[in-house]
Amino acid sequence: MTSDLFVFWTLAVISVFTGVAVIATKSAIRSALALVVNFFILAMFYFLLGSQLLGIVQIFVYLGAIMVLFLFCIMLLRVGHAEQLTETGGLKLAGAGALSFAFLALLMSQVLEPVSRTANLPDPQSVHAGVSTVEAVGAGLFTRWAFPFEVTSVLLLVGIVGSILLAKRRV
Amino acid sequence: MDPLQLVWLVPGLPLIGFLFQAFFGKAIVAKLGDAAGKKVLGFAAVLPVFAGFAITLILWANLPTNTETRAVVATLFDWLSINDIHPLKVPFEFLIDPLSIVMCMIVTGVGGLIHLYATGYMADDKDYPRFFTYFNLFIVFMLTLVLANNLVLMFVGWEGVGLCSYLLIGFWYKNVANAKAANKAFIVNRIGDWGFMLGIFLVFAVFNSVSFYPSGHNLDRSILMEAADRLTNNPGLPMVANPALWIPLLLFVGAMGKSAQGPLYLWLPDAMAGPTPVSALIHAATMVTAGVFMVCRLHIFFELSQIAMLVVACVGAFTAFFAATIAFGQFDIKRVLAYSTVSQLGYMFLACGVGAFGSGMFHVVTHSFFKALLFLGSGAVILAMSHEQDMRKYGNLSKYLPITYRTMFWGWLAIAGIPPLAGFWSKDEILSHTYASGFLHGQGMAVFLYSVGLITAVMTAGYMTRMMKMTFLQTDERWRKLPEPHHHELGPQHEPHEVGRAMTTPLIILALLSIVGGAALAIGPHLFETFTHPSIGLSLMKPTELPGGTEALLIGLSIAGAVIGLVLALRNYKTQPADQGLGVPVRGWRALAEKQWGYDGAMYRTFVTGGGNFATLVWRWIDAGIIDKVLVNGIAKLIETVGVLLRPFQSGFVRGYAFTMLIGVVAIIGWVFLKAVVR
Amino acid sequence: MVPLSGYLTLSAILFTIGVIGVIIKRNPIVVFMCIELMLNAVNLTFLAFARYHPAPLAHDLAGRTEVYLAGQMYVVFVMAVAAAEVAVGLGIIMAIFRLRKKVDVDDMNILRG
Repeated sequence: MTSDLFVFWTLAVISVFTGVAVIATKSAIRSALALVVNFFILAMFYFLLGSQLLGIVQIFVYLGAIMVLFLFCIMLLRVGHAEQLTETGGLKLAGAGALSFAFLALLMSQVLEPVSRTANLPDPQSVHAGVSTVEAVGAGLFTRWAFPFEVTSVLLLVGIVGSILLAKRRV
Repeated sequence: MDPLQLVWLVPGLPLIGFLFQAFFGKAIVAKLGDAAGKKVLGFAAVLPVFAGFAITLILWANLPTNTETRAVVATLFDWLSINDIHPLKVPFEFLIDPLSIVMCMIVTGVGGLIHLYATGYMADDKDYPRFFTYFNLFIVFMLTLVLANNLVLMFVGWEGVGLCSYLLIGFWYKNVANAKAANKAFIVNRIGDWGFMLGIFLVFAVFNSVSFYPSGHNLDRSILMEAADRLTNNPGLPMVANPALWIPLLLFVGAMGKSAQGPLYLWLPDAMAGPTPVSALIHAATMVTAGVFMVCRLHIFFELSQIAMLVVACVGAFTAFFAATIAFGQFDIKRVLAYSTVSQLGYMFLACGVGAFGSGMFHVVTHSFFKALLFLGSGAVILAMSHEQDMRKYGNLSKYLPITYRTMFWGWLAIAGIPPLAGFWSKDEILSHTYASGFLHGQGMAVFLYSVGLITAVMTAGYMTRMMKMTFLQTDERWRKLPEPHHHELGPQHEPHEVGRAMTTPLIILALLSIVGGAALAIGPHLFETFTHPSIGLSLMKPTELPGGTEALLIGLSIAGAVIGLVLALRNYKTQPADQGLGVPVRGWRALAEKQWGYDGAMYRTFVTGGGNFATLVWRWIDAGIIDKVLVNGIAKLIETVGVLLRPFQSGFVRGYAFTMLIGVVAIIGWVFLKAVVR
Repeated sequence: MVPLSGYLTLSAILFTIGVIGVIIKRNPIVVFMCIELMLNAVNLTFLAFARYHPAPLAHDLAGRTEVYLAGQMYVVFVMAVAAAEVAVGLGIIMAIFRLRKKVDVDDMNILRG
């Protein structure tokens, strides 16, 4: 086993474990904390995949902003330990599990089978040497992707206004 | 400026009058008070009609003399213009020629007198402005009809007068019977208009034009001859093999509807539900003669088909006789006059059918004098008798209504055909032309038509005498024996009074016209015939001249017929009980005549009751059974059932929705997977 | 070297965990977290493909090498949208809580038929 495979497997196991923890714990706070770990692992994966910028952004945006927002919200609403807010119906649980498993199986059968056939992938290192940097992504955002970028800014603006409106008691 | 360009003012002034009445009528009555407001409105209604008469006189004086037809076309504006393989051009054009001048004079002259009369007759009606709104509008449409230079514009006038007729028959709409009579008139006229429209389409299909004359001056006879050539040599259309036959027949269907001829007569008697001036103006003097006018205007088409001419003559003669028999059985004074009108219109068509278009038009003119007079006189009687129209309750009215009686006296003799009054001249002309029509229909047919006409003349004198006797001359005052009335009905204490000046003046003028109008136009220089000859005398036919002796004999026969009818009726109705009918001892005759030989009832049973039953059937089975139950309610039920079935799925539980979505996603991916496996 | 199928499998597992969470959780905040988890699983797929099936290189008008970086760009936009979504979504949850003092997903069923 090469070193990168070892790293991948380690991170993958932690990732799945924390993912399951998100839905398995009864406390919302624990779910959030498990998700924080999960997202951090995902950031690691991004680095492994050569997307350094996105890895950084993942840590900043998800861990630094979104998850903090979640935690604030949980504490404000005092639902951190709301045990009654977990599904109790066994039948529903079983149904959801079975269906999800079917979903996963179908997904895997549709994805893994074709992907395994394309064995002779080019060496990613040689293709993308040095292009996936912050500079390259930034240049792309301001040239070819300028329009979607601007539209996204409008979307964020709408999000800001919308959340302020919702959060205010009286408009 | 060419005085003929003033022609637009003839219908234009009544149009202004109509708009004035329509928009300011109520306000003026409200502002000036009832009496003064009605005075102003009456003046505003009468003035434009007489002004139109004055302008018609100017037009008459300025008719061109340098062409055979004496016709001028004045284009006001382009109206319809369609560019196609067969371009349709319908300009808004007025045709000024002797024929339209004659009709304009009747419409504005007699119409003006009737307007004047109506200011008195309607004085107590609270809907005074509405009445004159319709009345002026009628004049506008009637003038459009007679002045139009193309069939489409004529049709506009044709439908417009039909509309005004409808509105005025149902003027007192609060009485359901009046509204029904208005509907009847409108619906029966639809049949005629259907024929007229088909005729117009056929004319357009053959000629690619609907205009009588091209625009401008110098219109001579060659235009008519070209049209005749084109029609006779027409190879036929895909649908209509013989347009030369079908054009006149279809147009005549239209004329039958408007002029209450043949099977379509039955709306006119009911049209008497309107106020009496309406009956006089629309249902005696002008609108109902539109059919005759149309046949005369398009006489070239009719002359080209002997069959069409025969149909016109036979329908006219039959209607004249048939309506005269019914007139004997009527007790409503206006209905007697209505059947008389139908009968006289039959005379006019008889004249057209034997090729004597000039005589037909002449009868239109004289008839408009004496029939308007008789109607207006009957209106005066009705007004004097508290709106009672049943002659069985009249009697001895000559004592109470001297002016009305004396004027109606001349109308009576005129319609009976006593020389030298107006009716004699026109009726005699028609009868002698009918007798001379052997060149067209064969001698046997000519004699048959003549004898029907002559018998009808005798009967005309008879039923008119009956009416006059029952109303004025019989000395027992029958309303004195009536029970005490409830409201304002006729009662034994009623004292009839002569009507006012606004109403007697038109009566006197019309009486004078009935006395001298015929003779002045017919004898000596033959004023009427000479004048209208350019329009309707330019015939294709070559009638045979009757020898002088025969002509004298025919005149003698006419006079004898009129006198016999008068004398017989005077004798018969001298001391008769009031509800006596014909006086002929035929069992059941009177009942038959009163019921219009059962024709009206049969029509009613067939079309109104039968149609109602059919409609009920359609409603029960198709509408209620199939459309309502199966289609409308069925679809609603189906959707409701589906909704009930689907409702549980909208539980409001968001996670349930997510779960359903997941099922869908799995299904879709599973389907893709299965497809991949199967392939 | 890690195969592409490894990343894809991991992504599918994480996504499925998110799906299960959305279905079984009644706490709307946790439901939201699961949605975020699903979004991140998709992001991982994007980046994996961006790495193993890179968009072809191109040259701009000046002749310089231009990189499409399509996969990474999508992830940027997904993150932006996710951030906006979370802001608005949490705002809605706050508003509902103010109104009803409870945040059970199953109580928010006034839209039922």
